[in-house]
Amino acid sequence: MLQNNWESLRQWLLGLEAIGEEIQTPTQISRLDLSNKGLNELSESIFLLQNLLVLNLSGNNLTTLPHAIKNLQKLTNLDIRRNRFESLPEDLAFLPLRSLNASGNRLKNGVVLEQCSGLRVLDLSNNLLDEKSLVFGMHEDLRSVNLSNNCIKDAAPFLKSLSCVERLNLASNVLKTLPHAIANITRLRELDLCDNAIESLDAALFSLPLERLDLSANLLKNLDFFGCNELEELILDENTLASLSFAEDFAPNLRRFSCESCNLKTFPLPPSRMLEYLCASYNHIASLPHEIGIYTELVELDLEANEIETLPDALANLQKLKTIYIKSNRLQKSAKKVLSVLHPEICDIYMKSGIEIGAASEADIEQAARLLAVLFAIESDFSIDFTKQFAGLSLLFHEPHADILVAKYGDEVVGMVTMQRLVSSAEGGYVGQLEDLVVKEEFRKMGLGSRLLNRIRALACEKGYKRIALGADVANENALAFYTRRGFRRTKLNIYHYFP
Amino acid sequence: MQSQEEVSAMEICECGQKSVADAIKIFQNSSLPYKKAKKLVTECNKTCCRTALMRVYDMSLYGRIDYEEIAFLIEQRKERLKYLGGDDVAE
Repeated sequence: MLQNNWESLRQWLLGLEAIGEEIQTPTQISRLDLSNKGLNELSESIFLLQNLLVLNLSGNNLTTLPHAIKNLQKLTNLDIRRNRFESLPEDLAFLPLRSLNASGNRLKNGVVLEQCSGLRVLDLSNNLLDEKSLVFGMHEDLRSVNLSNNCIKDAAPFLKSLSCVERLNLASNVLKTLPHAIANITRLRELDLCDNAIESLDAALFSLPLERLDLSANLLKNLDFFGCNELEELILDENTLASLSFAEDFAPNLRRFSCESCNLKTFPLPPSRMLEYLCASYNHIASLPHEIGIYTELVELDLEANEIETLPDALANLQKLKTIYIKSNRLQKSAKKVLSVLHPEICDIYMKSGIEIGAASEADIEQAARLLAVLFAIESDFSIDFTKQFAGLSLLFHEPHADILVAKYGDEVVGMVTMQRLVSSAEGGYVGQLEDLVVKEEFRKMGLGSRLLNRIRALACEKGYKRIALGADVANENALAFYTRRGFRRTKLNIYHYFP
Repeated sequence: MQSQEEVSAMEICECGQKSVADAIKIFQNSSLPYKKAKKLVTECNKTCCRTALMRVYDMSLYGRIDYEEIAFLIEQRKERLKYLGGDDVAE
């Protein structure tokens, strides 16, 4: 399709609902979203948009860009992810690009990158690139590079060109080694090498200012860590290790460490006193050493699926520990006693399985109404009155546009949530009013509230609701924190009641 | 473009022999972090389906499922494996 003048370009963009009627001149357009429009080609007249800074072409069927694109001399952000490019268009070299997202194409050629000297953020993930097809120039501004899910066997040819990069993602390639050239990336703070076939690490890695290092799902055997003064997170999951050791000076600021499924027989003890998360699940660890007590900042400990029989008293030092996963071990009675004294907020061996969530039946309404007493005991605006609550829920049950979900443990209703359909003039459509989210005391800290919320949100999406709203008692701090953690945003509105 | 029903029936994990619909249901019925919840789908410790499965987990958590993107990620993994000669040495 060819557009030769502004008016036809304008009509085309209006037809795609990419601009509004108020746009009268091409220079008014600085951002253009043409994502998911089923485009097979882009108009040559695009060059008219001289003020264009951001162009989103993601999710189309493009295989190339018109040559005229090189005239967009203000274009700094280009998104061409999820198209059908097999090579990056050569005209990109003429653009002042700062950010390029070409993820999810069929790229086998990235040679033009050599000339894109101003790039700061580059995403080439989910393509078919290998080391021969990646030719970088000296990109002094490049800070973030995502090359995950490609076919790179050797990173050495291009690593030396990435000397200023701070975040590098090489996950899900076919790397067998981490070359010494990694030492050239002297500002590297985040490195993701997950899901490759790396057998050994170059010691140069430990001299970098890394804050996050993911080495999971490789073929590493022997690891001797030292240095890494800035490291805060280290993930070693799914490597079949023969040995793992830490020098005393290793990563003094390490906060998160994980070595799940690493074939370990002894418990790993990184020297950092700052650890907040430690995962050693799915190994063959038979005992937990007393030194675990040094991790006084630990919040979450994951020991699931080991061979642990007893637990040391030193666990009592972990005053901040909130979550412990320890099922599928060989815990003796004494260990269970230690756990009961420790009393973490979340412990998987106390979690009940077999709790099902589904739409309430009429027979569930009575139990659900009684459950509301738990909620109304906290919310000072409401009073507990079984007759009223039963009547209310019964009405709701028969409402065609209302949903009542219950969590049931056997025949017992242990949690519930309701949602009613309203019309919102603000949103111009139907919205959901969420109420009555409550879980029985003895079934809390098992994630039931989250499950109920996930299910009701999915239901709202299915029904096409434009928003879900809820009210929570300002004094119920747990509820406020719960909704905030799960993506709800607190509004500036207050709720008023009037009883006619 | 595939329909929602077609994408729901696509196999997302060969190890656990689970479809996209199975994975969504499992994630929506779980409050576990990804690392634990994914084992309910894969029943293994492999990472073959990691990219697509992580996206499904995130989508399930927030209730909005983009079936087109899921299909895209599954297809892309197949294409990549084919390109690598069916030998994904990193698995």
